[in-house]
Order: sequence, then C-alpha cells, then structure tokens
Amino acid sequence: MKSKPVEKKRKARDEESDSESDDELGNGLFDGVLEASEDEEDYIPSDEIDDGDSESEASEGSEEVDEDDDDALLSDDIPSDVEGDDEMGKLRKGAEELEITEPGVDPKPKHQEEEGRNYRIEKDANGGERYVYGEIDPAYDSDDSDAQGPVNTIGNIPLSFYDTYPHIGYDINGKKIMRPATGDALQSLLDTIEVPKGWTGLTDVNTGNPLNLTQEELELVRRVQHGLVPEEGYDPYVDTVEWFTSKQETMPLSAAPEPKRRFLPSKNEAKQVMKLVRAIREGRILPYKPPEEREREEEEKEEVHFDLWQDEEPAAPNPMHIPAPKLPPPGYEMSYNPPEEYLPTKEEREEWEKTDPEDREKEFLPQKYNSLRKVPAWGTLVKERFERCMDLYLAPRVRKNRLNIDPNSLLPKLPSPAELKPFPTVVQTIFRGHEGTVRSVAIDPTGVALATGGSDGTVRVWELLTGRQVWSVKLSSEDPVYTVRWRPTKDAFILAASAGEDIFLMVPTHSSVTPTLDQASRDVLAAGFGYATNGQQPATAPGKEPAGKWARPGTKLEDAGVLVRVTVRSAVKVITWHRRGDHFATVSPEGQRSSVAIHTLSKHLTQIPFRKLHGLAQTVVFHPLKPLFFVATMRTVRCYDLQKVELVKIVQPGAKWISSLDIHSGGDHLIVGSYDRRLLWHDLDLSNRPHKTMRFHPKAIRAVKYHKGGLPLFADASDDGTLQIFYGKVPNDQLESPTIVPVKQLKGHKVVNQVGVVDIDWHPREPWCVSAGADGTARLWM
Amino acid sequence: MAKIKKKGQSGQAKNYITRTQAVKKLQISLPDFRKLCIWKGIYPREPRSRKKVSKSATASTTFYYTKDIQYLQHEPLIQKFREQKVLEKKISRALGRGDVGDAARLERHAGRPDQTGKPRYTLHHVIRERYPTFIDAIRDLDDCLSMLFLFANLPSTTSVPAKMIARCERLCHEFQHYLITSHSLRKSFLSIKGIYYQANIQGEDVLWLVPYKFNQRVVGDIDFRIMGTFVEFYMTLLGFVNYRLYSSIGLKYPPKFDQTKDEKGAELAALTLEGVNLATNDETTKAITNGEGHGPDPKVQAEVDKLVKKLRTETDGDKADVEMAEGEDEEDEEKATGAIDKFEPAAPGGDVLPQPTYSGNDPSKLFANCTFFLSRETPRQSLEFILRAFGCKRIGWDPILGEGSFTTDESDPSITHQIVDRPIIQAATTEQGDGEDNQTAQKLGPNQRYPGRTYVQPQWVWDCINDEELKEADLYAPGAALPPHLSPFVKPMQGQYDPTIPLEEQQTEGEALDAEIEDAKDEGESEEEGSEVENDMDVAEDSDDDEEEDSDAEEEDEDEDEDEEQDEDGEEVLQRQRELEAEISGKAVKSKQVDPKLKAKLDKKKALERKKKEEAEDLERAKGMLSKKKRKLFEQMQYTNKKKSTEDMKLRSKRRKLEKEKAAGKA
Repeated sequence: MKSKPVEKKRKARDEESDSESDDELGNGLFDGVLEASEDEEDYIPSDEIDDGDSESEASEGSEEVDEDDDDALLSDDIPSDVEGDDEMGKLRKGAEELEITEPGVDPKPKHQEEEGRNYRIEKDANGGERYVYGEIDPAYDSDDSDAQGPVNTIGNIPLSFYDTYPHIGYDINGKKIMRPATGDALQSLLDTIEVPKGWTGLTDVNTGNPLNLTQEELELVRRVQHGLVPEEGYDPYVDTVEWFTSKQETMPLSAAPEPKRRFLPSKNEAKQVMKLVRAIREGRILPYKPPEEREREEEEKEEVHFDLWQDEEPAAPNPMHIPAPKLPPPGYEMSYNPPEEYLPTKEEREEWEKTDPEDREKEFLPQKYNSLRKVPAWGTLVKERFERCMDLYLAPRVRKNRLNIDPNSLLPKLPSPAELKPFPTVVQTIFRGHEGTVRSVAIDPTGVALATGGSDGTVRVWELLTGRQVWSVKLSSEDPVYTVRWRPTKDAFILAASAGEDIFLMVPTHSSVTPTLDQASRDVLAAGFGYATNGQQPATAPGKEPAGKWARPGTKLEDAGVLVRVTVRSAVKVITWHRRGDHFATVSPEGQRSSVAIHTLSKHLTQIPFRKLHGLAQTVVFHPLKPLFFVATMRTVRCYDLQKVELVKIVQPGAKWISSLDIHSGGDHLIVGSYDRRLLWHDLDLSNRPHKTMRFHPKAIRAVKYHKGGLPLFADASDDGTLQIFYGKVPNDQLESPTIVPVKQLKGHKVVNQVGVVDIDWHPREPWCVSAGADGTARLWM
Repeated sequence: MAKIKKKGQSGQAKNYITRTQAVKKLQISLPDFRKLCIWKGIYPREPRSRKKVSKSATASTTFYYTKDIQYLQHEPLIQKFREQKVLEKKISRALGRGDVGDAARLERHAGRPDQTGKPRYTLHHVIRERYPTFIDAIRDLDDCLSMLFLFANLPSTTSVPAKMIARCERLCHEFQHYLITSHSLRKSFLSIKGIYYQANIQGEDVLWLVPYKFNQRVVGDIDFRIMGTFVEFYMTLLGFVNYRLYSSIGLKYPPKFDQTKDEKGAELAALTLEGVNLATNDETTKAITNGEGHGPDPKVQAEVDKLVKKLRTETDGDKADVEMAEGEDEEDEEKATGAIDKFEPAAPGGDVLPQPTYSGNDPSKLFANCTFFLSRETPRQSLEFILRAFGCKRIGWDPILGEGSFTTDESDPSITHQIVDRPIIQAATTEQGDGEDNQTAQKLGPNQRYPGRTYVQPQWVWDCINDEELKEADLYAPGAALPPHLSPFVKPMQGQYDPTIPLEEQQTEGEALDAEIEDAKDEGESEEEGSEVENDMDVAEDSDDDEEEDSDAEEEDEDEDEDEEQDEDGEEVLQRQRELEAEISGKAVKSKQVDPKLKAKLDKKKALERKKKEEAEDLERAKGMLSKKKRKLFEQMQYTNKKKSTEDMKLRSKRRKLEKEKAAGKA
C-alpha cells in the first residue's frame, strides 16, 4: 500500500515533465527517452533526468507544479489530468501524438499495458505469473546514491557459507550473483607471479572479484602511510604575502588629500569617554573587587554611626503618645536561690500544674537551685520575648489612672459612735406572745405602754419596760393587724389599729390609765357619733359605697375597749395620725382611687382627698408643723397643701419602690426607705433629689423612723433582720447640711420567710426603740 | 438652618481607622505596614466606644489613629518598600521567563542601588523622630538590650542569619565596654530566666535580661520576621546610642575589633577601646561640646577653674602638695568629675571619669584591689563583665573559657579570689586522685586549695555588688549552703512581706499571738499531759470557726454576738463539769493546771478579735455612707489589697514553719 502513492507520484511527475518538456526541451530528450524505452534497464535514468529538469522548472513556476502534484496525490483520476493537459494547449498536438507512440512513458494506463511496460511477465515454478521488473539504473545525480551496480544482499555473513555454491549471493532482485570464474591453482600462481597492476591480493567482499587499486589510489595510500599530506602538491607552509605592510608605498593607492577628521579628536569618542568619566565620578562604575570584599565594605557602609542627637531639643511629648510600659522587675520569687518560703508547697505545685496555662496567676513556679551551675536555660525565653514584641506593636495602649491611694482615705471620716451617745445598743426586753409575725409596734405618747399588732389578728398592749402583756384583743380571725398607732396627744389614751378593711379605735386598759383619762378617751371617741347623727355626712353618690362607715364594733369588742370601727373600701395597711389627734390618714394600697383616706375623729368623717393618684400609694405622713400632707407612691413622694388643696412639691428619691417614709420633727427633712435596699435622706429645702443615699442592708428596708422626742436619731428596719441606728443631726442653720452618721447595727431578729424586721418605733423621750420582727417577737432596744 | 451632619464624617468615626483601611490608604502590603508600625512606634488604639467608631467592627478589629496613619504617609521608607517590591517583581518576572541568569544578576546586584534600584534604607531618621533627645532613647533601652542580648545568644538559622547574630553580639559587647569604663552598672540579679542587669546611664535606670549561656530553645509559633524587624531597629538604635555614649566618655566609636581574638572566644577582649582625646584632643572636645548643646563657655570655665584651684591651694596648700606628690593619676581622677574638666590642658593623658559618684562607696572601686580567677564551671562572660564594671582589672580564668584573661595560670600568686562552683568531693577519692595522672588542667587535687586566697561561689559576686560591699566569704565557701539570693529591684513597701527583715518585726499582732499560743501549747503538750481537755476544746473551736466561714456572711454577722456569749457560757459550763467530775473522782481539778500565761494569751487573742470585729463594724458603717461609684472602687482596692496580704500571710506562715523546723533540727 505504501508504495502505491509513490508510484503514482512518480507517474504524475512523468506526465508533467512530458507535458512541459515538450515546449522547451525539444525533441532531443524524447529521443533519449525513446532509446531508453527500447532498453528497459535504461528507462529509470532517463526518467530521473526528466525529473531533474522538471524540478528546475518548478523553481520557475512552482505554483503550477504544486497544484499538479497535489492533484496527482489526492486523486486517482488520471484521465481528468490528461483532459486538463489537452485543454492546456492544442499546439502540442504533435508532441502528444509522439507520446502515444512512446512505450513505457505514456501516462495512459491502457497504452502502458499494451505497448510499454517496465516489467516482464514470467512463469514461475508453479506456472503462475510472475512480474519481473527491469533494473533501475539511477543516474549519477539521482537521489538514490546507494544503488551502485549489483550489490550482494546476503548480509553480514561469512562468504564461506557459499563455498559449495556456484553463486556467492543474491542481488536486489533475488538474482544469483555468480561466482566469478577463478582459474585453477597454477593459473593463480601465475597470477601471483606476474602481479597485475593494482593488485592487492584482497578480494572484494561484495563481488568476489580480486580487489584492485588504481595507481592514484595506491599513491594516496602510500602518502597516508608516510604521514604526508594526502594531496600531492599541496604546500602547507606557503610563504605569506604581505598585502598590508608598514612600509610606505611610494605610490599611494589613493591620491585624495587627508581628510580633516583625521586631525580632529572624535566628538563621539569624547562623548563616550565623558560618559564613562561621569559614571566613574558618580560611582556607578567601580573597580572590580572580589564579592566578599565588596560585601564587607557595604556592611561597613551600613554601619556608619554619628552623633544622632547632636542638635537635640527637648520637645514636649505628644500628649496622645503613650510610651510602652516597662516590664516589671523581677521579684524575690524569680531568684535562682530564693528564700525558702517562696517555694511552692506540694499542693500549690499540683494546683498550678492542674490549671490551664492561660488561667495561671503566675506563669512560673519559683525554683531553687543550690548552685549556679545547676541552673538550666529558661525554656520559654524566646517565646516571652516574642510575646513582648507582639505586645509592643499590637496591643492597644490605654492610659489607666491607677489611684495609688490608701483605700481607707476614700472612707468618710465618721465621728466615733461613742461621742454620739446615747443611742440604743442592746436588746432590753423581748415581747413574746404573738403567733406569727408582729406586724406593727407603737409606743404610747407617755412612753409607758407598747402596742403591737400581729398576723394572728390580735392587738396587744405591754408594759414597755417589763415586757408584761397587759391587754389584748383579737380584732379579726382572718386578717392580720397590719398597723397599730397611738393617738399622739396625751389627753386621751386611744389606739388605732387596722385589720383588713376595718380600722378600730380603742382605749386599752393599762396601769397608767386613770379613770379620768379613760373617760376622756371614751368621750373623744364617742363625740363623733353625736356629730354623725346630726346628719353631716357628706353626700355620696347613690349606689356607691361611702368612703368610710363609722360604727360601733359590737358589744364583745366594746367590752374589751374597742369602741369605734371604721370600714373603708379595701384593706388598710398604714395609719398615720395628725399631730393634734383629730385626723388620721389611712392607706390601703389596693384601694385604687380611694387608697388614701383622711378621717376626722371628731366628726366621724371619712374623706378621699385624691380623685386620681399617680401610681400606687404606699404610705402617707402629715407635716408636723404645716398643713402639708406627704403621699409616697412607688416612685415619688408628693407633697400637698391641705388648706389650699394643691400639689406643692414632688420629691424624687430615685428608688424603685418606696416602702416607708418619715418626716423630721423640724419638718424640713425626710427619710425614705425603699424595697431596693436604700435609705434616702431628703432635704426638702434643698432639692427634690436625695441629699444622701445610704446602703447598709443587703435586703429591703421595711420601715424608717425619726426620733420624735428631740434626740438626733433615726433608724431603719430591714428584711435582713437588722436595724440600723443613725445619728442624724439637723442643724439650726439652714445653710449647713445635716450630719448623718451610722452608729449602730442592731442584730437580734431572726429572718422568717425572708422577712426580718417589719416595723420600728421610737420612745417619745428616751433613746430607746422598739422593733417588730417576723419571728413573732418585738424587742425593746436601749 | 445648621448644616446637617452626615454620619461617619466627624468625631470618633473620623479619628480612628481600621488596620485594613490603613493598609489600603498607604498602598503597602500588610507585612510592610507591620514593619512600618514597628519602626515608627505606631500602635493600635482602643476607642472609647467601638460602636461609635465603626458599626461593623468586631471585637478583633484593630483601630489606629487616623493622624498616626497620616503621619506614616509621609514616611520616606514607604518609597523604599515600593522600590523593593519593584525589584522583587523584576526578579520574579525573570524567573518566570526562565531567565535564571537575569534573576541572578538582579539578585546579585541587589546591593548596588545604581544598577538595580534595590532600595537601601537607613533607620536613623526614624530613631531621631522617635527619640528627640538622647535621654528618651536611654529610657526606651530596656527592650532593646534584652532583645539584642537574646539574639546574640541564639543559634543561627535561616530566619536568624549568622551575620545578624554577630552584629548583635558586637553591639552588646560595645555597650558592655561602655558600662565597664564608665562604671555605670549598678545591680545584677541571678534569676531563673537569666541574669538581670541594671545600669544607671545619665540618670536613667536601664534594666535588661541576659539569658544564660545555653542553646536557646525555640518553642511555639514564633514569627522571626517580626522579631527580625524589631532587631533591625534595635541594632540601629544601639549603634547610635553606643556612639553617643562612647563619645561622651572620650572614646572612639566603633572600637577596634580583633577578628582572630574573637574567633578564639575572647568576647569582650576582642574589642580594643581607643580614646580619642589622646590623639586628637581638640576634635573630641568639639564634638562633645556640640553634643551637649548649651554648655558653659570653655574659656570662662577655664578661668573659673583656675580661680577655684588657686583658692583651694591657698586654703589647704600643704594637703594639696602632699596629694600632688602622691601621684598625678589620683588627682586627675578626683578632678575629672565633670565634663567641663576636659578642657584643662594640664592633664596629659589623664583618664576621663565623668560619672558622678553614685553613693558613699564608689562602685568603681569595689573589686579594685582583687585579682580573680574563674574556674571552668563558672559563667565567665557575666562574671567578667560584672567584675570589670566594678573596678576589677585582673581577672584570670581557665584557658577553656576562651582568650583574653589576665592569666590562665591557676597557681598565680597574685590571685586573691577564686570563684568556684563545684561540689566538694569525698576525701577518699582525693587520695586516689593523687596517684593518678590528672587529665584536667588542674594541677592540684580536687579538694586542695592554694593558700592565701579566698574561695567563693559565684553568688558572692552578685551579692557583693548589690549590697555594694564585700560580703563575708565564708558564707559563700564552696560546698556551703548559700544564703538566699534576693532581688535588688524589689522596693520594700510598708506592710509587704520582706524576707530580709526578721519575722517578728513584720508579722501582725494576731499572727504573733497565734504563733505564741501554738508554741505554748506545744510546750504544754510535751511537758504535761493534762492539757488534753484543753486541746479538745481547741479543736472544737476550730471546727466552729470553719463552719462559720462556710456559712453565709450574713448569718455569720448575725450570730456572732450570740456565739460569743455561748462560747463563754460553754466554757463556764465545761469548767463546772470538770469540777464536778473531779469532785466525784476525788482528784484535783485538772483544768486549773492550764498555764496562766497561756490563758493570758488566749484572753489577749480574744480581745484582739473583738477589736478586729469592731473595726470591721466601723468599716461597714463607713462603707455604707459611700456613693456607689466610690464603694465599687473601694471594694476593688480592698480586693487587691486583701489578695496581697493573704499572699504575704502565706509567706509568713511558711517562714514561721521553716524557722520552727530549723529550730527543731538544731535542738
């Protein structure tokens, strides 16, 4: 398959050469071709000649050749080729006719088969057809340089294999190459005697003929053998011909006068030189130095030092610049040989090892080496340095003003409590008897009797100093007695107590109560009934409950001394008497609009002063001197003028939930206790905000109370079971601020259900106070 | 109407800039930015309110002052960074082309800025900016010295080139030489981390840490590029500081460096100091005066000096004459106390010692009369440095420790002190050793000593310089248990535990009482057996105390009063019980045997406790009157103080225990 296209190519070339050569080369060549066609073996060389010619043509008109070539290669359609040829010109008709007669060269296959073939058909041993191609004799300048005559094809095997055969091998066509005739021994001997020219005694391997050399070849061999120049007549040492000499010729080659430029220095050269000079001057061109030396020099250049601070001027430091803090100097525990107390104990060591490295308070454990040579390298030194570096450039620096002061200097200088005596310090009497919490305590204006009200619904009256119970009444079986308060005047001995929605006014029996006093008290209470029957009750809207119903509580209670019952709309928690004893105010925090009520004892009259309240009323208090009325809601304390019926002031203690309130007997100062653990002192003249905020209790404050008898004392009661006694001196001068000194914390009450001390009251004259606790006791402190 | 303010255009939002924004603004890479920040001393700032500065900022966002970044914008180093980047690009492009030769050329000629444009930067302008005065630079020398001394001891790796290490080492040696000649080293401390040194340079205390001479372990992820940046800056800084320091004492900088000596391990001795004032006196004086700025006029000063001298000679003429006769050198030293004295032409070749005397005894003369010999096992570098800095001129050491010693001959008769740090070998081995050929450099047997010299352990040197006196050598004799080595940098504070003061002087009253009671009890226990009951009671008390501590503070307060009463009651009851028992059994009452002294002490303790309680009450009262802010502050302070005091208490109790043990051991 491979040979086919090559064959076709060759054919195509033949065609071309034919078609083109006929114009230019004329008949001479054709003659040769014709001759070649006669002798088959000569055909190929002639073809090669043609080829060579055609190639020379191709250099002139290569496009055409290429096209034809491609055609020939791509298509087997030879007739079309011929047609193309026909079309190319009819002028060549004669030549075409000649072509037809040419055997073997004709491109047309039929002609080829019939008249000119480069092979013969022979019969092989089996009687089949066998094509025998004619020998192709390549011309001298053909491509096939190897093909020279018949070449033995047996390969690289000894000739002796063929000794028994008449031939010595095969040529390319498989024809035997016959052994050349050799004479017999005598002949050969003769041959040796008369040596023919060029005899070498060797046999040509390829042909089997004796290898003869020509005279020239022999000469060449000889010269090589003698080490001479192989070519004869070659002179390796030719005399030099001095074409250009230093000698001045008498006759110059050119008669032109010497040009001016020969006498002038070259500007260009000067430029080049200057360039170099400049480069040298500027140090761009340096004399060569070995690299190591140069490196060293450069290093030295880098390390040039001079006085950098020659003209230093102390500049004010940038206020925004914070210098990096220095590392703390090493302490005793860092020593390689620290005092032994710095060494960690076993437990400390274990604990240190157990904690994570980030959580450790110290990053190292002190160690002791008894000799300097035993101290090893510190393992994390590089890391510590690195961390310092990171801190230096990555840590934001913040200037922190560390107060380097004694913390005790922050504390206010308080006078010693010993100087501020008297104030209660120890428990004197414990009043036991109530079941459950004692809700309220009150000492009567004469200072001999103590009234308490408890969760068990009873009101009890005690001898203050001895703690003996002298009188008791059960007001309610369900509701606790929230509050008991004595009428503040000494002309009568009247106690007010609240249980649920009812307020009871009673005259307890007591040793100090003389019959006249008792009668006076009963008269005071009874006076109102007459007034009420006079029909002076305020008109109430029909269908609406009256603000307070005044009535007698019933014979049983009346026998016990409880004389009046006032029923209001909701449970009363706080009772406050006016200083004259004719009015008292009650607070019932759940009572919405009617939570605050003012009762007039002499008229048996109940009024609700506020149509609307801002927030839940917690407690109320009358001003001791002026007709002012303070109402504490959860957040604020409002002060109303009762005569003008207007709001005078809003005091803002800042507490979340006010629990209790009391006013100083001078009327200008207020203390407020709050459930959020704060005790606030207000100077009403100064500001709406507290003058002093105090926090002494970890739990809510339930009650606060001023001493009303002229002693500068006040106290608070807290759910943590303690009372805090304060010294609170209000100066006569308006400009001076009050002195407030905590003097004593009284501990004693037990905390029950997270409720400690609930109420507190002062003795009217003495520095004694009484507290009511959730543990069912009341205590007298003195 | 006022102009409507836009958000993020004024106030805090304008004052701060995040790191990313800063890098973008400067148009440099993050590593370059880091370098710049390190060199210029720019550090992040914490805004008062992160939210106001940037809404999108997370907790890890770092902020810088915008002004700081603007200041960086004008830094010429940025241009150098850019040039460097260009060169790197060129090289990488050449490599990308496969043109290795070109890349190599660029790399090779990188040192020639004219050929390749490789940036060559210097940092001295940065140093000048950061430290406008020399004192500022001295103040910031702590980190610089610690870093350079550490790097001088690091092994060389790819990230830490050997050249850098060598330069660090040299700079450090130069600095040490300055300290030696100026005698400005003050204190030193052997810690477990390394050796701390403190020097006083021009009135500023400089403290640095030098690691022990071991191969430093590099653990954890340490970025040596960051460290390298710091070191580069510090090297430049210390170079200029050294120059200034050297010229301030009339020395030439850099000192002559002897390569061969250095290779033989001479360390400090490889550098030879050259005074400038010898050869070119005028130049140096000029330089120095320039450096000092507004110094007094030399002519006027000279006249004044002359006058003063005259006066002095007139007043104590005889004395002066004697002094003159004694020797010029001494007088020179005395006179040359100020820099102004250098102008005197009358002192030919006199040493310049401008440092004012530090205290009563001159530290420069502490070891002046001693000749030291260092044994092989001692740390030669630090000892040599310290000894020289404190006036020692003659230090010999074993030839193994390197060159540069005064003598390598251990048997030199001029040696007064020998520093050894080896254990005492048993006597039996010494006898054997005598017969054998000793291969070590020692010529004497292991335990034999040269007569006429003092043998001390290295700690002696440190304790001597810290206390500025020659300590008793017998405490530091070889093989002796050394006294504890205390840090000289701790300033004793009122109420803080101080190991140098006896325990009795610093313990609180309560502690002392406790200790005494315990002692008494111990004695009682050993002497009598009748105190069992007492002891039992004590245990009960203790447990009570514990319970109290466990329970809530509130309750504790509440119950204290009652407890006290009950305790007293209980005691009485017990007493009665005992008496009853005694009656029944017919024996004498045992509890009467309780030591009256002990009882008195117990009473005292009780009184003390009561007092303490009262104080606590007072404190509580006062605290209630504080405002919330102040109370918080107070509580914080109390917290730290309490922590400190408990630590101190722990130390004291440990010491008490140790002392007791020691006493017991002696008995």
